[in-house]
Amino acid sequence: MARLQDTPPRGGIDIRDLSMTYRRGREVTQALSACSLTIPEGGWASLIGASGCGKSTLLRILADIVQPSGGSAMLSGMTPAEARATRGFALVSQQSVLLPWRRMLENVELGLEVARADKAERRKRAEEAIELVGLRGFERAYPHELSGGMRQRAAIARALTLRPRFLLMDEPFGALDELTRASLNFELLRILEETSATLLLVTHSIAEAIILSDVVAVMSPRPGRIVHQLEIGFGHHRTDAMRDDPAFAAYEAELRHALHGDPGVTRQPIRQPAFA
Amino acid sequence: MPSDLSVRAPALPVLRLPGLDALARLLRQVGPAALLFLTILVVWEGVTRAGFVSPLILPAPSDVAATFVAAAPRLFTHLGWTSMAALGGFVLGNTMGFALAVVFVHLRLGRLTALPLAMMAQAVPIVAVAPALLLWLGNGVEPKLFIASFLVFFPMLVNAMRGLSSADDQVAELLHTLSADWKQRLLMVRLPAALPFVFNALRLSACGCFVASVVAEWVASTTGLGYVIVFASSQYRMTEVWCAVLLCTAASLCVYGLVCLAERLAMPWRRERPATA
Repeated sequence: MARLQDTPPRGGIDIRDLSMTYRRGREVTQALSACSLTIPEGGWASLIGASGCGKSTLLRILADIVQPSGGSAMLSGMTPAEARATRGFALVSQQSVLLPWRRMLENVELGLEVARADKAERRKRAEEAIELVGLRGFERAYPHELSGGMRQRAAIARALTLRPRFLLMDEPFGALDELTRASLNFELLRILEETSATLLLVTHSIAEAIILSDVVAVMSPRPGRIVHQLEIGFGHHRTDAMRDDPAFAAYEAELRHALHGDPGVTRQPIRQPAFA
Repeated sequence: MPSDLSVRAPALPVLRLPGLDALARLLRQVGPAALLFLTILVVWEGVTRAGFVSPLILPAPSDVAATFVAAAPRLFTHLGWTSMAALGGFVLGNTMGFALAVVFVHLRLGRLTALPLAMMAQAVPIVAVAPALLLWLGNGVEPKLFIASFLVFFPMLVNAMRGLSSADDQVAELLHTLSADWKQRLLMVRLPAALPFVFNALRLSACGCFVASVVAEWVASTTGLGYVIVFASSQYRMTEVWCAVLLCTAASLCVYGLVCLAERLAMPWRRERPATA
């Protein structure tokens, strides 16, 4: 089981004193302020917080899309730019961002195509990933012929083809209905167990954060800071039954309090789940 | 360029595999337009036959047809000249417009220096400059080719530039996180995203290039349908004028149809999509 540590294993994510200020004319917006978070290699972490609290910004810094104003973010000892150059991480965002002129299989192959993998390898890995996300039989469909959940599965498959060490997910199921979302949460768990990737998930669903993480970090509204971290003691072999565990409700309550900024966040120790 | 070019030409019959079902669909699609067209022809014929209108002002369709049959070889030769200039201009102007759009999208400096110039050039009333062009380029096919490509160039440049940068930020971010270089971005995202815009420009210029070519021949030429129109009307041979007009219309419709067909073939992902596409 992954734990919070002062010095993470080299293979993990290490975020230190990260801050981000946007300037727009004279208006200065502090999006992130002194954020620190470590995720050990193979660990699963979630960031939750109100919308606009900077959790996506944090992910975009890790993905080398924006540059931080201060502090550092390292992925297994590499800066985001270095990690991007080695295609060490994959980003999955809320919109599946499939190219409408490519069939599903071709969309899944995109990452490998950009990485100039040869054709046979590309096809093989794409088919594996498609199998893993359960989209077999839809290879020749265009994105507009797929449902929202299927499009998101395809985006996840595309991310998996590069066998990333880090999966950065920005509200990947945010645009889906509750049922699809719940089933995809458990699909993702299954996939994570098979890939041993380190996960950083941004979400605004408390339940989703608990289901998919070892550690849930709660961010305060702007300027975003990590105000609370909660370890989830469910281990890495999770089933649907975890939702009915009393510990699940306790985690949920604690995170809800933390989100609403209650002072007495950790009032009572949480009974560890029976099967952890 | 006359403003009515932006009006869509009537939908052409869509090519499908032979079959009764397809035939019925085809009839449903083009039937109403064809009926209206026939009605106009019949009324036109009736009005002129009855002597309400002087044949000098409006010749009967049957007379136009008779002239057409008699003068067919000569008319088609002239159509050949006109088409050569029009299609040459179509290819030249569109190629240059598209190539320049690719450059402008990638080079800020190019955009800053050459785009305003291209804008200004577009504002030049090319027909008014035609006499000067003829002086420079002679009265062969060259000035016609120039004018046709000139008129076609700008819509392609503007549309292609919009199309090439039409893919949204999220796609750009995806390609960025995948570390794609500019060539991959161009081939995998920009070009396919630009196709609908490019075909819009092509459809506009399919008719525009014939107009340009005819107008250029009008100014000074001894060949082409523009020349036929000027020459025949100076001798009040109105049936021949109408023949030339209809022939030119048919030719530009053919090019338009080919562009539509190419559009369908080039973008299979749009074919099965509901009507909004």
